[in-house]
Amino acid sequence: MRAATGHNDRKRLDVQMTPMIDVIFLLLIFFVCTAGFQRIENILPTHMTLPGQVQSDMPPVEEEFEDLDTIVINLRWVGDSPQWEISGRNYNSLPEVQSLLAAIATQVRSDLPVILDVGAVVPMENVIDLYDACRLVGLERVQFAASPETVRAATLR
Amino acid sequence: MTPMIDVVFLLIIFFLVSSHLAKQETQLEMELAGAASGATPEETNDRRLVVNVLPDEATGEIQVVVTGNVMNTPNLRSMLDFEVEQAKLEKRALEVRIRCDRRVPYHKVEPIMVTCAAAGVWKVTFAVLGE
Repeated sequence: MRAATGHNDRKRLDVQMTPMIDVIFLLLIFFVCTAGFQRIENILPTHMTLPGQVQSDMPPVEEEFEDLDTIVINLRWVGDSPQWEISGRNYNSLPEVQSLLAAIATQVRSDLPVILDVGAVVPMENVIDLYDACRLVGLERVQFAASPETVRAATLR
Repeated sequence: MTPMIDVVFLLIIFFLVSSHLAKQETQLEMELAGAASGATPEETNDRRLVVNVLPDEATGEIQVVVTGNVMNTPNLRSMLDFEVEQAKLEKRALEVRIRCDRRVPYHKVEPIMVTCAAAGVWKVTFAVLGE
């Protein structure tokens, strides 16, 4: 690296390129390194409670809400594609389900709890998509149904 | 002065970049699912446990990895109990973040959520990619 001398013997007025290139190169490396090529992760919050096991800071569900219906979505894996079932009717695409949920959220009420009953082999991608669809239409109270066997296995000490 | 400034500047950049890379390396690499309603994680004072669920590279079997160790459900339960205890001592909330590969079947994730609920952890989040 050539040291900058401050004044030029030959009194040339041209810009000293080498230090400038040094600095620009350094800045370039700095930004390339810090940019990071990993995509930023977001989070989907959930609310977890098991009946009889509540030791949380979450406010308990008020009694007047307990009388209300819940939306139960049954997500199954049929052949090699997902299938959604809401109160006995089958849906074969997520946009259909989402528009139905949007209708429920706007016409009935948006604080209805949604319970996702997911089949064992359904990939998490589809589970997350369904969860996302619920949140997008404003249904924030999404819960997961757990099979009794799983609960028994997990609570056995 | 000039060479000293050069060196100091280089050192600063080195430490900035290495700390940045160190932060990235704490995350296991996997294909997360995408979600449009995902929220940006906020820096909170909560105690956090990250549970990774991903297929093993060699066998393709689904593994639950916490702090670099492969876990089964009883292990996870005792770890969660310990974390809950610690969080209580520190008077902080406990957050469990589930990072699962998009192809993982639901029955591998269900026990984790049930275990969290059984251990009294109510703050469970899924890591997703923004769309």
